[in-house]
Amino acid sequence: MKQIITYSSIIFAVIISLVSCKKDFLDINPLVGSTEANFYQNEDDALSATIACYNNLQQEVTPLQGLGGLAPHFRWYFGDVVSDDTDKGGSGDGDEPDLLKFESFQGTSDSKLLLAEWQTAYKGIAYCNIALENIPGIAMDSDTKDMLLGEIRFIRAYWYFNLTTMFGGVPLIDGLLAPSEYQQVKSTAEETWAFIEADLSQAMLGLPKRSERPLSETGRANWGAAASLLLKSYVYQEKWSEAMEVADDIYNSGEYFLDLNYANIFSSLGENGSGSVWEIQYMSGSGGNWGNQLEGTFTNVFQRARGQFGGYGFNIPTQNFVDEFEEGDPRLGASLYQVGDLMGDRGPFTLEATGMPHLYYCKKYFNTAAEELDALGDPNPNGLTNDRVIRYADVLLLRAEAAYHTGATGIALEMVNEVRSRARGGNLDILPDVTAGGPYLLEAIYHERRVELGLEGHRFFDIVRQNRGQQILGDEGFISGTHELFPIPLAEISLSGGLLIQNPGY
Amino acid sequence: MTHLKMMNKIFIAFISLCFSSHIIGQNITVSGVVKDLISGESLPGVTVLEKNTYNGVFTDVNGNYTITTSSTSPVILFSFIGYTKQEIAIESVSQTESKVVDVSLKLDVAGLEEAVVMGYGNQDRSKISGSVATIGTKEITSLPVLRTEQAIQGRTSGVQVSQNSGQPGSTQSIRIRGTGSLNNSEPLFVVDGIPSFGIDYLNASDIESITVLKDAASAAIYGARGGNGVILVTTKKGKKSQKAQIKYDSYYGMQEPSKYMSLLNAEEYAILMNESRSAAGYAPYSDLLSPETLGEGTHWQKEIFERAPIMNHAFNFTSGTESSSTAVGGSYFVQDGIIGGEKSQFERYTFRVSSTQDGTDRFRMGQNINFTNLSRNALGENNEFATPVVRALNMDPVTPATRPDGTYAYSNFIDSDIANPANQIANTFDNWTTNRFVGSAFAEYDILHNLSYKSTFSADLSLGSQKVFMPTFDLGIGSNDPNRPAYEWRETNVLIQSENKYTNWQWENLVSYDQDLKNGDKLGIIAGYSALFNEYSNLVGVRDSLSSNDPDQAFLNNSINSAEQAPQSSGGINQSAFLSTFIRTNYEIGDQWSLSGTVRRDGSSKFGENNRYGIFPSFSAAFNFTELPWVIEKDWIEFIKLRGSWGRNGNADGIGSFDYTSIVYNGLNYTFGTDQQIVNGAGPVNTSNPDLKWETVEQTNVGLDVDLFQGKLNMVCDYFVKNTNDMLAVVPVPGVVGFNPSATNVASAKNSGIELALNYKNFDNPMSYSFGGNISFIKNEVTGLGEGGQPISSGNVFGAGDFVSYTEIGMPIAYFYGYETGGIFQTNEEADANISQPNAQAGDVIFVDQNLDGTIDGDDKVMIGNPHPDFTYAMNCEVKYKGFDLSVFLQGSQGNDIYNGVFRYDLNTTNLPISALERWTGEGSTNEYPRISHTDPNQNNRVSDRFVEDGSYFRIKNMQLGYTLNNTTSQKVGASNVRVYISAQNLLTITKYSGLDPEIGSRGTLEIAIDRGFYPSPRIFMGGVNVTF
Repeated sequence: MKQIITYSSIIFAVIISLVSCKKDFLDINPLVGSTEANFYQNEDDALSATIACYNNLQQEVTPLQGLGGLAPHFRWYFGDVVSDDTDKGGSGDGDEPDLLKFESFQGTSDSKLLLAEWQTAYKGIAYCNIALENIPGIAMDSDTKDMLLGEIRFIRAYWYFNLTTMFGGVPLIDGLLAPSEYQQVKSTAEETWAFIEADLSQAMLGLPKRSERPLSETGRANWGAAASLLLKSYVYQEKWSEAMEVADDIYNSGEYFLDLNYANIFSSLGENGSGSVWEIQYMSGSGGNWGNQLEGTFTNVFQRARGQFGGYGFNIPTQNFVDEFEEGDPRLGASLYQVGDLMGDRGPFTLEATGMPHLYYCKKYFNTAAEELDALGDPNPNGLTNDRVIRYADVLLLRAEAAYHTGATGIALEMVNEVRSRARGGNLDILPDVTAGGPYLLEAIYHERRVELGLEGHRFFDIVRQNRGQQILGDEGFISGTHELFPIPLAEISLSGGLLIQNPGY
Repeated sequence: MTHLKMMNKIFIAFISLCFSSHIIGQNITVSGVVKDLISGESLPGVTVLEKNTYNGVFTDVNGNYTITTSSTSPVILFSFIGYTKQEIAIESVSQTESKVVDVSLKLDVAGLEEAVVMGYGNQDRSKISGSVATIGTKEITSLPVLRTEQAIQGRTSGVQVSQNSGQPGSTQSIRIRGTGSLNNSEPLFVVDGIPSFGIDYLNASDIESITVLKDAASAAIYGARGGNGVILVTTKKGKKSQKAQIKYDSYYGMQEPSKYMSLLNAEEYAILMNESRSAAGYAPYSDLLSPETLGEGTHWQKEIFERAPIMNHAFNFTSGTESSSTAVGGSYFVQDGIIGGEKSQFERYTFRVSSTQDGTDRFRMGQNINFTNLSRNALGENNEFATPVVRALNMDPVTPATRPDGTYAYSNFIDSDIANPANQIANTFDNWTTNRFVGSAFAEYDILHNLSYKSTFSADLSLGSQKVFMPTFDLGIGSNDPNRPAYEWRETNVLIQSENKYTNWQWENLVSYDQDLKNGDKLGIIAGYSALFNEYSNLVGVRDSLSSNDPDQAFLNNSINSAEQAPQSSGGINQSAFLSTFIRTNYEIGDQWSLSGTVRRDGSSKFGENNRYGIFPSFSAAFNFTELPWVIEKDWIEFIKLRGSWGRNGNADGIGSFDYTSIVYNGLNYTFGTDQQIVNGAGPVNTSNPDLKWETVEQTNVGLDVDLFQGKLNMVCDYFVKNTNDMLAVVPVPGVVGFNPSATNVASAKNSGIELALNYKNFDNPMSYSFGGNISFIKNEVTGLGEGGQPISSGNVFGAGDFVSYTEIGMPIAYFYGYETGGIFQTNEEADANISQPNAQAGDVIFVDQNLDGTIDGDDKVMIGNPHPDFTYAMNCEVKYKGFDLSVFLQGSQGNDIYNGVFRYDLNTTNLPISALERWTGEGSTNEYPRISHTDPNQNNRVSDRFVEDGSYFRIKNMQLGYTLNNTTSQKVGASNVRVYISAQNLLTITKYSGLDPEIGSRGTLEIAIDRGFYPSPRIFMGGVNVTF
C-alpha cells in the first residue's frame, strides 16, 4: 500500500505540474480580425470604423436577427410599390406576399419586411454609435476627425429619417446599450425630428463641400448631402421657412447643377454626376452572393423583367403613372420600358419573352448584361447601379414647395421651370413653362415631382406628407389616421416588453 | 512551446518511474491445456494470468500454456472472449514444483462476462451500472453498410440515425436520446480512445465493436463533450498468440430508385395551366392550346434517376506472437449515385496498421496508423432552389429533356430556379477529395501489478481539397438569339478551388489502479489528464474565364485573365484547445453491488473568460439480484440486474472558437471614388459574452437487465430523464441594440423516454435462430428560452414564403407552425361573408381565425405538425440451418410529420402533384384542394397543414440470404471459411408520405423533417462473399 501511495503521488505530482502550464495552453487569440481592445487606435482605424457605417447603407437584403432568413427592404418597396406608381410584380401573388398586402393596405405588424426595415436601420445606427463613441478619443488630425464624425452623424440621421417616415416616433439611441437598456420606449415624432435636425446641423459643420473633395472621395457624404437631408426633414415637418433657408443655402452654394440630359442620370456614366447630392454606391464584380451582399445592389435583378431577361420582375409601373406624363415628355422613356423597347443588350421587350402580362418595366435601375461580366457564373449577380437617393432636382422641387408655402411664388415657378427646362432637352415643343398660380401651382409642383422623381422611392412618402393619402390611395384601401405610418414590427413590441406602443389603427 | 514543455516534464516522470523495484519471491511452474467445455476443442489465445500480479501468458495454437508463478499458492485466472472466466487456486507443497492444470471453459451464452468497451477501460456486462449498448462485429458486418454510422441504425434503442441525404457520402444525423440541444446534437465519436471528427474514414470491416454510451454517468468521463452521448468505436486488432488470419469481404450491387412521385403528365399539366391562366385573366400559352396532343410528355424523374453500381472490397490480416500482435487492413469502396451516377459518387480507400508489442513483463506499447483517401462528387441536394430533385419535380412535363439533335432542351414556361435538371447534372463538376491520416501511439507501464500508467499521443491530420468547376454552356443557342432563356446558359466558366487543413492532436496520460480488497470487494480507479489542440485553416481561390472547358484542365492558372483580375481569394485560420483532468472510481461489493463515480474537469479556449473550466460529476449503482436465494430458486432466471445513474455532462462542440468575444472584422467595405475603389471598413459583428460556456446536460437513468432461460432471452429496459440546461440560444434582442446578439446560455430542454430491447437466441443444432427488437419512446420539450421566452422561427420554405419551424417553451424543438385550414370556400357568398379573408373567392382555402379577431395574421398560427416520432423501432430475425443463413432487418418510425416543401408554388407554372387534378372546380367539387390560378390573392399556399404529411414509415431495411460452404469445400480453395450471400436493402417501404423518401434527417437542429427535394436513398440488390483464410 505504501508503494501505491508513493507511485500515485509521483504521478499526480506530474499531472499537477502539467496543469500548471494550462493558462497559456487555453489562451488562444483570434488570428483573423482584431479584438475590440486593439481597435480604434489610429486614424486608419477611425476611417475603417466610418466606412463600416457606410457599408450598412448597402444592405438591401437583410439577414433577420433571430430568424433563419433574409428579407429585402428596398426603398422602392414602400416608396413605390405601396404608392400608385407601381405594382408589386414578381412571379405572382405568392412572390413576396407581404408586399402585396401592404400594397392593398392590409399589411400586418408580423411582416418580416417591417422587421427588416427596423433592424437594418438600427444596425446602421449602432455602427454609427460605436464609431461616434470611439473616434473622438483617437489621436489624429482634428479636421479629419470632424469630417469623419460629420459623415457618421449624417448617416445616423439618414437612418432615423427612414425610420420616422415609416414608423413615426421611434426609440432614439445615441450610444451603445447595456443589456439593462435593451428595452426602450418610443420618442415622439417631434423628438425624433429634432434629433435628426441636430445631427445634420452638426454634421454640416464638419463636412466639406463636394467641390472640396478629391475625386477619390466621390461618393462620401458632403455638406450638400447633409443640408439636403435637413431640407427634406424640414419639408416633412412643414417647417417651410426653415426649409426655405437651408434650400437657399444649397441653391446659392453653386455646388450642384442639373445634368443636361435627364436619361444620362441613370446610366453608368451618370453616377455621382453634376446633379447628384447623395447616392448609395454600388459596384458589380461581387458575383451573386446572396446573404453576403458585398458591394452590389439587388435592385437591378429584382426590377429586371422575368423570362429570358433573367430578372425577378418586381416594381411594375402602373398605367396611372404612365398617364401622368405629359405628351412627349422624354422622361417617360427614360423611366420605364414599354412593349417593343429594346432592353439594352438583353433583347427586345415582348410579352412572350417576359412570360408575364405586364406592359411596363422600370428602367432607371436597369443594367446591361455587359455591365455584369464579372458575374462568376451566377445568373443573378449583384448589380452596379448606385441608388440615387437625393438628386438636385429633388432639392429644387422641395425648394419650390417651400417657396410656395412661404409665398415666394416667383421662386417656386423658377424652380419648377428649371426642372422642366432640363427635361425638355432643348425641344421647345414639349413641357411648356409653368405659369399657374395658387393651388394650381402646387398641383404643378406635385405633378413635376411625380414625373421627375418617379420610381426612385419617393412617391408614397410624398403623398403622405402632402396629406393626400386618402385622396390618391383611398381606393386602394388607404385610411387616414392609420396608413400614414406602418405598424411597428410585432416582434419588436414583444421584445420591448410592451414598452413600444403600436401605431394607431394597427 | 507549451506542449514541448509538457513533453519534457512527462519524460522525466517516466524515467523516474522506471526505477521501481522488482518483487522477488518463490515460484512454481504451472502448465496445461485449455479447451472448450462442450466441443472439447482446444482454445488458442486464452489469457492465463496469475492474479494480483502483472504475470500473464497466452495459450498457443494448441491451447497449451506454461506460466511461472511468483508465489507458491497462486490463483490462476483463465479468461477468453465469449467464455465465462475461471479462477483456479493452486496449493503447492514445495517451490520449483511443476503443476499440470487442464481447464475447460464454458461458453458464456448470455454474454454476462463480455467485456464492454467503456470510456477509458472495459467492464463486464454484468457489472455495468449505466446505460450502454454494444454493437458487435457480427451486427456491423451482417448488413453491408454504406456509411459506417449506418451500422448503428436500429441496432439499439434510444439511438435515432437518419440520413441527411441519400446521396453517396452524405453525413448521417445521430440523436442519442432525442434532440438535446438547439445547437449541436450530434454525439461525440471516440475511435480507439481518440475523439474523432466523424468515422467516415473507417470501413465497416475495420470495426471490431461499437459501444453507445447513452446515459450521463457512462458518458461523464467525457465531461464537457459527452452531453449528447458518446459512440466508442474499437477497431480490429490482432490478438496475441493468434494464428495468422486473412479475411476478405466483398460485395457488388446495383442501386435503383425505389419510388417516383406521382405528378401531372403533359396533357394534364396543359389543362391545369390553361385553367390557371384563364382564372387570372391571362391569355393561355400558345404551346398549350391543345392539351390532348401532348400526351404523357417528359417524366423528369426518370430522366435524372438511373441504376448505379456499388462495390466494396475489404481485407483484414491479423496475427500475434506471444509478445506482439498485428492487424493490417485495407479496403476500397465506391458508390455511384442514383441521380447523376459518377457526378454523385463516393469513393474511399482505407489502409490501416495496428500493432502492439510487449517490451518486458511490465512494459507494453502500441501503434495505430490509418490512411484514408475519400473522394466525393456531389450534386446540390435538399434545397428548393436549384437542385436536380427539385427541378425534376417542378419542371413542366411538356418540355423534352433533349432535342432531336441530342442537345438539352429548355422550358418555355418556367424561369428562374427551375431549369433542365439533366443539363444541370451534366454541367456539375463538384469534387471534394480528402487525404486523412489518423495515428496514435501509446506506451504502458505496470508500476505494480495492479497499478499501471499509460501515455497516448494521437494526431489527426486531414487535407481536404474542393474543386467546383462551372463550365460554359449554351444549349446550342447563340448569344444573339432574342429568345435565349435567361438561366440556361453560362458565358464565362468559373473555377473555385479550396484547400482545407485540419490538424488535431491529443496527448493523454492515464493511471489505473485495481485492488481486490480483503473482504472480497474490488476497487478500481482510473485517473487521467488530457490536452487537445485543434486547428483548421483554409485557402480559397476563384478565377473565371479559363482557356479550356475541360474539367480536367480546370486550374486557377489556366485563366486567360491576368492575375490582377483574380476576383476573389480568401483564407483563414481557427484554433482551439481543450484541457481535462478526470478520475473514475469503481467499487464492487461482493457480486451484488457495483458502484461507480466520475468527476471530470474540462477547460476550453472556446469558453468565455468567466467560465473557462467546468466540472462534471456522475455516479451510478447496480444491484445484481442473481445470487439472492429467491432468484436462485427460479431456474428460468439466469440474471437480473437493476441499474440507476445520475450524471452531469456538457455539450461544448457546437461552440465556435471565438464566440465568446466580439471580434472587429474587416471587410465591411464600401466603394468610393470615380474609379470605384473598394475601401476597407471594420467593426464588431456580435456582442461579446465573457460568460459563454458549455451546455449542461443532466440525466437520470433507471434500467433493468434480465436474462432468462439460460440466457436465451435477454431484455434491457431503461427509463431516462435528460435535462439540458444552460442551452446556448441566440435569443433575439430588441432591434434597437443594433448588433447581432451572441449565443447565451439561457435555454433549456427536456427529453424523457422509455427504451426496451428484447432478444431471443437459440443455438441448437441443426437450426439456430435469433430474433429481437427494440423500441424507443422519446418525448422532447423545450423548457426555457431565456428571459422573455421569445420563440424562435426557423426553416424558411421558399414555396410558402415563410418559416415553417417554430421553437417555443412547452413544445417540441422545431415543431411545424402555421395556419390550420378549414376546407375550401364553395361559393363567393361564403367567401365574402368571411371578413378575415377579404381577398378570398370561391375555391380558395379557408384559414381558421383562431383568435376570432376578424383577421388572419401571425396570431392565428398554431401547431400543424410534429417532426419528432412518437416512437422508433427495429426488428431483426436470423435463422441458420446447415450452411444457410437468412436474416431480415426491419426498421421504422411512427407518429412523425414531414413538411413537404418540394413544390415551388411561388412560381405558378411549375408541375404539380397528381392531387392537383382533384382541384376545386365548382361548388361541391372538393373541400381539399383549392382552385388553380396564376394569381393567389388569398395566399392559398402559405404555410399550413395542407403541406404537413404523416411521415411514419416501416421499412425492410435489409434482407439477406447466405450460404456457408462446408469445410472440405472451402479447404479446397485454401480457405477455412467461405460464405456467399445475396442481399437487398430498402426492399420495401410502407408509408403514407407522398415524397420520394420518408427517412429525412435534419438540416441543422432547428430544421427537422422539411422535405426540400430530398435525395432519396436507393434500393440496393447485391451479392457478396466473405472468405477467411
